[in-house]
Amino acid sequence: MNDNDKEKGLEPAREQRDEAAQEEARLIRQAQDGNQRAFEALVRLHERLVFGIIGSFLRRRQDVEDLAQEVFLKAYLAIGRFRSGAPFAPWLHRIAVNTCYDHLRGIRRRPEIGIADLAESEADFLDRYVKKGYLSGGGEADDRLAARDLAERILATLPPKDRLAITLREVNGFEIAQIAGSLGCSRAAAKVRLFRARRAMQAALRRLIRQDEHDE
Amino acid sequence: MTCRDTENLLELERKGEIPPGEQQALTRHLAACRRCGETAKVARLSSVLLGTLRQEIVPGPSFYARLRERLAAAGSAQPDSTLLHAWGFARRLIPAVALGVLVLAGVTISLEGPSMPRQVQGAHSREIYAFSLEEVNLTGSVERPNQDQMLAFVLMQGQARGAGSGE
Repeated sequence: MNDNDKEKGLEPAREQRDEAAQEEARLIRQAQDGNQRAFEALVRLHERLVFGIIGSFLRRRQDVEDLAQEVFLKAYLAIGRFRSGAPFAPWLHRIAVNTCYDHLRGIRRRPEIGIADLAESEADFLDRYVKKGYLSGGGEADDRLAARDLAERILATLPPKDRLAITLREVNGFEIAQIAGSLGCSRAAAKVRLFRARRAMQAALRRLIRQDEHDE
Repeated sequence: MTCRDTENLLELERKGEIPPGEQQALTRHLAACRRCGETAKVARLSSVLLGTLRQEIVPGPSFYARLRERLAAAGSAQPDSTLLHAWGFARRLIPAVALGVLVLAGVTISLEGPSMPRQVQGAHSREIYAFSLEEVNLTGSVERPNQDQMLAFVLMQGQARGAGSGE
């Protein structure tokens, strides 16, 4: 494939991207003038990522939808202050992350957990993992559920911002700059939070594994 | 391979970017080193647990109907955008208006000069000058003026007003 062919291949993709950006800018302008249909169209464009962010903190569909409603309502009320020409997605993500942060702050942080605090399914999952080193083949759905319970239990012991940092990075695939932008901190501070959260999570798991092995 | 390399290789493994040759070396090292083996077990479990938090939720059938209702309610409660623009413009004018008031007050004071004290006949037939009733009671005293002093002050004010209007 020569350079001309390559350019021909890239051209439609670039045109499509430009068209999408223009369409988004038009919808933003209309939404700023109070057009609710235009705002709804914007929501539909970005619903997947907003639901993904919230879904990594909340499990029940109804709770996720309730928080998503809050996010979009906040965005609607603030869209008049959105600077035209600025990227819309990071702005919306920041609102989503802030709403999740407010939600997490409202939940009481759990103290350090021990093996005795785990539900039976979580303890079984941990025990199987420690012995075999992987998830069991037969009861995968149950294992997944137990693993999620355990993950949430451990993350609930972290400070809300550390929890946000590790979840945005490991679950939603945010880059450090995106995490920093969403948390309203420097890149260095975001890195520190991420490092601290990883260490805390691994320390909690190490403790649980040792207790599990000790109980054998 | 050393214990120091383990953490980096585990990170590459987590991202799925570890080269096959390195993967074999890592496996051999983890089997031989108990400490690194435990570190790997914890790191891998951590990844497994975090992976379970990823879930694909799409809005339910009633989501947009509910959102439309809330947006409509919020839209009607919001002030008119023209008013908001006007308020924004007015807010920018506040410092200029405040400065104008200060300048005007300064000019007024400089034109009128300081207020003059009034002459009052004191309780013991002494002439005094006062700006207010409290000052009628004279030097060093903080008590309220007696009835004679108050009467004298009021009369003097009346006289001053009469003289002013007669001019």
